[in-house]
Amino acid sequence: MTEKELPLTGETTPENEIPPKKENGNVQPKKIGVYLCRCGGNIGDVVDLQAVADSLKTDKNLIVNIQDYLCSSQGQERIKNDIEKGRIDRVVIGSCSPKLHLETFRSMAKKAGINPNLLEITNIREQASWVHDKAGIDAKVKGLIKGAVARIGSIEPLVPLEKKLVDRTLVVGGGIAGITTALEMADNHEVILIEKAPFLGGHMIGLSKTFPTLDCSQCILTPKMVAVHNHPNITLLTQTEVADVKGSPGDYTITLKHSPRYVDIKKCISCGACARKCPTGAIFLPFAQAVPQAYMIDMSKCKQCGACVKVCPRDAINLEAKEETSTISVGAVAIATGFEPLDLSVIEEYNYPAPNLLTAIEFEEMLSAKSKTGMRLQKADGSFPNRVAFVLCAGSRDFTGRGKKYCSKVCCIYSQKQAQLVKKMKGDAEAWIFYIDMRSAGRRFEEFYHHTQEKGVNYVRGKIAEIIPKPDGTLMVQYEDTNLGMKGREVFDMVVLCPALVPSAGTKELADKLGVPLGDDGFVEEKHVKLDPVNTLNQSAFAAGCVLGPKDIHDSVTEGISAAHKASQFLGKGIILIPPEKPMILECNGCGDCVKACPYNALNLEGGKAVLSPLACTGCGICVPACPIKGIEIRNYTRNQLKAQLKAILGEAPGVVVFLDPYAYAAADIAGVNRKQYSSLVRFVSVPSIHILDADVVNAAFEYGATGVMLIEGTTDEKLTSRSDELYKRLKKETRKHKKPLRYSHIETAQYEKMTDLLNVFATQAGTKAEKRSKKEKGDSSETAEE
Amino acid sequence: MKKETILPETRDTAFRDLILKTPVGEKIPTCMQCGICAGSCPVSHEMDYTPRQLVRMVQLGLKHEVLNSNTIWICTTCFSCSVRCPRGIRPTELMETLKPIAIAEGIKNKNSKFDNIFSDVVKKNGRASEFLLISKYSLSEPGMIKQAPFGLSLMSRGKLPLMPDKMEDVRELDAIFKTGEEKQEKKPESGTKENAETKAEAGEKNEGKAADTGGEAEK
Ligand SMILES: Cc1cc2nc3c(=O)[nH]c(=O)nc-3n(C[C@H](O)[C@H](O)[C@H](O)COP(=O)(O)OP(=O)(O)OC[C@H]3O[C@@H](n4cnc5c(N)ncnc54)[C@H](O)[C@@H]3O)c2cc1C
Ligand code: SF4
Ligand code: SF4
Ligand code: SF4
Ligand code: SF4
Repeated sequence: MTEKELPLTGETTPENEIPPKKENGNVQPKKIGVYLCRCGGNIGDVVDLQAVADSLKTDKNLIVNIQDYLCSSQGQERIKNDIEKGRIDRVVIGSCSPKLHLETFRSMAKKAGINPNLLEITNIREQASWVHDKAGIDAKVKGLIKGAVARIGSIEPLVPLEKKLVDRTLVVGGGIAGITTALEMADNHEVILIEKAPFLGGHMIGLSKTFPTLDCSQCILTPKMVAVHNHPNITLLTQTEVADVKGSPGDYTITLKHSPRYVDIKKCISCGACARKCPTGAIFLPFAQAVPQAYMIDMSKCKQCGACVKVCPRDAINLEAKEETSTISVGAVAIATGFEPLDLSVIEEYNYPAPNLLTAIEFEEMLSAKSKTGMRLQKADGSFPNRVAFVLCAGSRDFTGRGKKYCSKVCCIYSQKQAQLVKKMKGDAEAWIFYIDMRSAGRRFEEFYHHTQEKGVNYVRGKIAEIIPKPDGTLMVQYEDTNLGMKGREVFDMVVLCPALVPSAGTKELADKLGVPLGDDGFVEEKHVKLDPVNTLNQSAFAAGCVLGPKDIHDSVTEGISAAHKASQFLGKGIILIPPEKPMILECNGCGDCVKACPYNALNLEGGKAVLSPLACTGCGICVPACPIKGIEIRNYTRNQLKAQLKAILGEAPGVVVFLDPYAYAAADIAGVNRKQYSSLVRFVSVPSIHILDADVVNAAFEYGATGVMLIEGTTDEKLTSRSDELYKRLKKETRKHKKPLRYSHIETAQYEKMTDLLNVFATQAGTKAEKRSKKEKGDSSETAEE
Repeated sequence: MKKETILPETRDTAFRDLILKTPVGEKIPTCMQCGICAGSCPVSHEMDYTPRQLVRMVQLGLKHEVLNSNTIWICTTCFSCSVRCPRGIRPTELMETLKPIAIAEGIKNKNSKFDNIFSDVVKKNGRASEFLLISKYSLSEPGMIKQAPFGLSLMSRGKLPLMPDKMEDVRELDAIFKTGEEKQEKKPESGTKENAETKAEAGEKNEGKAADTGGEAEK
């Protein structure tokens, strides 16, 4: 076997070799092991695995084996043994999603002595047994496994490319989660911490005391903020956001956008001379403990008189400052953009905003380092509120679309903290908590609940139905005391709404730029809900704190530490492995069409021939259909390989072929986890990108018996999605002769429900069309007109 | 009020399942008993069970309590509960679903009586007449005699005209009611059957909806 080295650019290691495509036949018959997992009963109870195994018996090159738990050491041992004994040299596994155990199985395969890429997993749990009932499922699984067998037989043993990592991390968000991540990493790695506000601390710096121990928030946070400021390995950039992301995991070039502060943080010594001279109060220190310690100007108030500029002893003020940008190069990104409150004006019957009707965050701020009232709790008129009501679940646990479905987790406990503070400030003041369920799970929380009850706080089980602000500044609330079944009305001096906590504005844009999927609640989707809670689907992006869902400080810190650990581990490897499924240029007449088509500038004409820069290439496959002489194929996803797989899948029974890119694949997995049922006629074929497909492949699918073909794209990369419409139109035109339905749909990972709805509708449509067609063919074969 | 004990024999699961299968029933199991409905309801203090409690009793299948409660008759169909319920349950429609069942079961109380008299008056005159309504209802409900002085004072101020305001051509209205009744006759056990069928229709509609979503998502 001759091995040819492909030219590689960039920082690569010499071992990078891609074995060439075997040009001349003479290939040894492959010995393939097929291992099916019952997954307890998860798969075995729904799919007749024995029947699947029996259907493979005709193929003499196969060893088929069924296990209860393939991922167990016993299950793995069996595969390892078969490889080591030389019984097999390629592996197809039918089990849970490859997201869960592919790495484990592949490292086992590597140890046993084969190229790990020669082991592939067919997902028959999340994408089969969890989403279909028994009808039709066996035919589906048989087809999928046969497809996988056909595929694995033709796979080249490629070696992943390696690329050097940039040993620098960008942490986005300077709340407690981001601060923790930065500090935990900084001793061993360079960190850039950006924060969009003018100061560090996030919501925590706006808290009074912190449950469940009631220590002062600022007292425990300030030392951490100062540590960030002083750490030699941390660059802190406030008023900064991500504007653009270029590059690939492990090697990003990120453009940052800095909004002007008009005061140079490095020069300002916070003497306050400027503020004393400013006629409009436009220049100010955000608050005494703010980090960084420097004044700033609110330009909406500034008259440009220049009084401050003249008086500043350090020449720190520049009224002409403009928004600036800068570029950084980082290998990993930690997302810690936290939360914000739901806009409560959507709940009309609460009449928010109104005087003395505040959110819990506004309540906290009054008693925090950021206080503008001298840490005094007061009504709009400056007096102390003698009767305060707390309204829990404001916008949470709402399934109507007006609010958020989830529980915001911290409000039950912080509202009790706030009620305690009211009672502490004035013993005879009244504090009422209106709750639906008092959720105090967690260490020390039930004790905290009990303690609050002892303090004489009045608990009412019933959610406030409406809040009417009165002209005198009091607020009338109406509710049902559900324990008594009696309607009630009370008047309060202050009503505190505990809002649903939603992801910060801008989280979606940032996540899209990094190719990090969000859940349908808008929070960052974990790589695995339980087992990989701070990793994302982007191997170089991590997340911590409330951007992963509402939580308290303790949990935000725990995640900050975890994210730091995971990011350090990632950077510690020094290299990143890049999937080797790149284009190979088999024939080239030098037309340069592919060079023009490639969105990532990964192709160049050299000496009249197209040449690939593998590290710049993302494997998107746009060049494949772009080449007019079909000279380009993606390794291991060649036209012939895909066709062979389709033929085997559809040979078992006709069905609807659905091509999924990795993000859409993840959506299908989430649908599985949520047991969203859909038609068992659906046959998923996983591709690195839907853009590798051309009419050759789609026509083949139709010829082999697909009743319909669907392309589902989940990526948010605009370079690809902006080309999808064109791809769809071209395919539609070039596959028209089959008169079978073809669909394209963009479905982000979070939209798994939309996906299953769509699959059902499409499967039905395809079925009806197929029926009509067969009737017509029987009826009058000469008639061809349709649609 | 004498309270019953909730026992297996007081829970009618067939009744519960029947209601859960109606279009309004689907979400009833998700009620979290927050009380927003009852807190929003302008008349819940007049009800023997608040809307929240009614939903709870349906969850349990307490058929007797549900159908005999005055709640379903007192409801003004103002929809406050339905717009505000965070679980998307529609207590208003629940009341509307329960009323015909109560009628079919032959359940009568002073609140259902009022409804009957009201619809009779409308059927006859094409319009509501406060005078006819009040006098007929007072005759059928002995306790109402106490309200007589109030009625007289209203009359003396011309707030309660004696002559009912009639529709020009009541026959048209008759025709409408007839068609309605004919339709009803085709479905003998009015309440229950009707609901089961509505559900089937709704089911079809739902599928249609999914199809729409699908269409939209396509490019
Ligand atoms: C009213 C209230 C009271 C609470 N009381 C307690 C308590 O007593 N005890 C307790 O344990 N927990 C309490 N919590 C919870 C606590 O506030 C959170 O656990 C904690 O603040 C989460 O920290 P975080 O870093 O994840 O998010 P955040 O505090 O929200 O920090 C996120 C930071 O990221 C920044 N950011 C956002 N988007 C971007 C962007 N695109 N680019 C750059 N920067 C960005 C934000 O400006 C912010 O500074 C309370 C919460 C509330 C709402
Ligand atoms: S934590 Fe309590 S108040 Fe907050 S949403 Fe959950 S149940 Fe409601
Ligand atoms: S696969 Fe995509 S990125 Fe790679 S060369 Fe082709 S068009 Fe460019
Ligand atoms: S508002 Fe809805 S969820 Fe709340 S008690 Fe009423 S029906 Fe149940
Ligand atoms: S619709 Fe009926 S039950 Fe609902 S709030 Fe109005 S009167 Fe009360």
